[in-house]
Amino acid sequence: MTLADLKTGQSGKILKISVSGALKRRLMDMGVVPGTDVRVEKVAPLGDPIEVRIKSYALSLRRGEARHIEVEGTHSS
Amino acid sequence: MSALIASTVHRGKSGRRTHLTIAVAGNPNAGKSTLTNAIAGSRLSVGNWPGVTVEKKSATFDFQGRKITLVDLPGTYSLSPYTQEEVVARDYLVHEKPDVIINVVDATNLERNLYFTLQLLELNIPLVMALNMHDEAAQKGFRIDIDKMALMLGSAVIPTVATKGEGIGRLMETAVAFADASETQRPAVVSYGEDIEKAVAAVAEQLKDHADVVSGHLPLRWMALKMIEGDARAIEHYQTEAYAALTEKAAHHLRSAHGEDLEALLADVRYGLAAGLTRETLRKPEKRKRELTERIDAVVLNRYAGIPIFFVAMWLMFKLTFDIAGPFTDWLDGVVAGPLPRWAAALLVAISAPDWIVSLVTEGIIAGVGSVLVFLPPIFAMMFFITLLEASGYLARAAFVMDRLMSAIGLHGKSFIPLLLGFGCNVPAIYATRTLENPRDKALTALLIPLMSCGARLPVYVVFTAAFFSAYAVTVLWSLYLLGIVLAVLVGFLFKKTLFRGEAPVFIMELPPYRIPTAKNLMIHTWEKGKHYLMKAGTWILAISVFVWFGLNLPWGVEAKKESYLGKTGQIIAPVFAPLGFGTWEAASSLLTGVVAKEIVVATMGEVYVPEAEEKQEASPSFGEDVRDIALSFGCAFVDAAKNVFSTFGVATMSPHEDEETAGLKSVLAKTFTPLSAYAFMAFVLLYLPCFIVLVAMRHEFGSWKWAGVTIVYQTVLAWMVAFVIYQGGRLVGL
Repeated sequence: MTLADLKTGQSGKILKISVSGALKRRLMDMGVVPGTDVRVEKVAPLGDPIEVRIKSYALSLRRGEARHIEVEGTHSS
Repeated sequence: MSALIASTVHRGKSGRRTHLTIAVAGNPNAGKSTLTNAIAGSRLSVGNWPGVTVEKKSATFDFQGRKITLVDLPGTYSLSPYTQEEVVARDYLVHEKPDVIINVVDATNLERNLYFTLQLLELNIPLVMALNMHDEAAQKGFRIDIDKMALMLGSAVIPTVATKGEGIGRLMETAVAFADASETQRPAVVSYGEDIEKAVAAVAEQLKDHADVVSGHLPLRWMALKMIEGDARAIEHYQTEAYAALTEKAAHHLRSAHGEDLEALLADVRYGLAAGLTRETLRKPEKRKRELTERIDAVVLNRYAGIPIFFVAMWLMFKLTFDIAGPFTDWLDGVVAGPLPRWAAALLVAISAPDWIVSLVTEGIIAGVGSVLVFLPPIFAMMFFITLLEASGYLARAAFVMDRLMSAIGLHGKSFIPLLLGFGCNVPAIYATRTLENPRDKALTALLIPLMSCGARLPVYVVFTAAFFSAYAVTVLWSLYLLGIVLAVLVGFLFKKTLFRGEAPVFIMELPPYRIPTAKNLMIHTWEKGKHYLMKAGTWILAISVFVWFGLNLPWGVEAKKESYLGKTGQIIAPVFAPLGFGTWEAASSLLTGVVAKEIVVATMGEVYVPEAEEKQEASPSFGEDVRDIALSFGCAFVDAAKNVFSTFGVATMSPHEDEETAGLKSVLAKTFTPLSAYAFMAFVLLYLPCFIVLVAMRHEFGSWKWAGVTIVYQTVLAWMVAFVIYQGGRLVGL
């Protein structure tokens, strides 16, 4: 499962980033590192991008980018 | 965690230096620019880092009897080699070796900020942390153990509230004290764990004899880490390829234990340490309160309300920018067109200067100064509102809402605002692209801005629609605006597939908490941009204006416009426009002068088609009357600007009003144009190369003529093709 598959309000734990190079480094620099909890907060009105909460701040990214982030679902609320 | 600290290092001898350099580094949205403003204020000067479009702010001032140079590095999340900002920041730190780094850290967002701090520590430069927004953190119930943090980082940690100026004095004193003791006051060497440290030690051992390390130019530990990370940029730049074989041995061991991607491994380890540091020093309340930002976003980013709110916000911004600027622009225009040249002429005639000098000064130089100045009000207003949007946090939300739409043509969500501003005036719009970080997004946006039909093109449409399409004027007007937008979509798509082929830049963007911007920050940013425009773009604009004057007036003494260089050039290029339906020297000459400003097309047409109407002598007012008029009209401009803010209806720059002077022109046009060729002509005016001020702004903002050149070529070709299709297509269907 990837971060793009989580629905609004669902949380997950990051397993790995399945892309390399600049995009991977950028994601990691923003705190998207394995083992981190992430929660989908919102979806933009037009369906893309999405807003997630990670390391106690709000990050937005496109679904195409979120698809490179493998997560395991934890729980929803 | 105390094992984090290995040692602080070496070298003796400390003397008070008279000139210290302080670099300010930190994450975006950590309050770095507010803090820099609080320290240096109006002494900051703005420029560009060499070779890139990244803004450089620095200030030199006296502090406690010493000279301090403060350099504000671009806000970054990391010192990776992938973005311009990051490369600029790290190159500066490695090459220029500031005496001390002030690391601005958002106290409400410790972990991610500390990740960057750890990378700064690798450079072995004395570091003082400004733990900013300390009040906000306290309000949230955060308790941060400052002494422990300082001990673990081998640095000083000073709590600050940049917006209120709190802690700034102590921060500067500490920074200077650290810089004084820079030989001994080295930051902690944070251990990255046994495996990595072993590899670092092995690589460092070999690198020791590298010339730049021996001379002390290259931080040894940092370079060793870069080699292990496989940072191609650093390896190439510091010519450490020769050491690759040894690095490979050390790296191989790491890879077999930790996986292939060592760059990711290092990022992972740094985040682990940042998390550890945060755990050790931060106490958060058990239950997280729902923050104000989240409550605002629940409305502002709401699935249904988000887009309407966005459009209302954009409409307000557009209206306020141009409605406030409008009266001041008109006032400047009036002064530069009336009293100033009159005074200059009177003065020059009094000292019996030759006619051509009088004309050069009044029509060339003063008019040139005028064309520089009239753009100042909209640039000020634009910068004010852009800073307001950015500093408040809404700009990121605007990008979030619009990104889906903009990304379809290869743009970024943030591209929307510059494009929108383009409908008012393309010049401030070009400057508004500064909010885009990625150079590709920025260039593509700037290339499309001239397709947004600016206010200066409206007078041309008004004259032609009044002459040919009075029955359905509004429809014709809208069709032109729409034509520009549709072509922007097509051209954007085309550029995405050609000039900007390859992976689209990432969107990954922080949505910072909403914050109230300080008045000081707004003023400084607004003023800086205006000043910078005057100094950098102003000279170009003035020079080109004078050059154009020569084109219009030489050979000196020609009575008939047809015989001037302009008229002659018009005659030469007229055949090019024949297939478009307006192959006359009058039309061609008018289009040529439109490069100065598109509304001038109308003025030139007035002169070349109806020359007798030109001379309209008025009694010259006295100097005293002039001065009174200028002061009075400035007062009126203020009142108008204020009125415009409060009036809810009508966008001043877009209300078509007809000049009485152009009435005579209409009847002449009706004889030389058909409705079809008139429409083709309007489309051509919409699309052909923008006024040269826009081109100069592009040069200014991008640091080279490259994109201005691309604009000239593609727009000229596009304008010709579209006008051709309209005219010939229209004839085919029998219009």
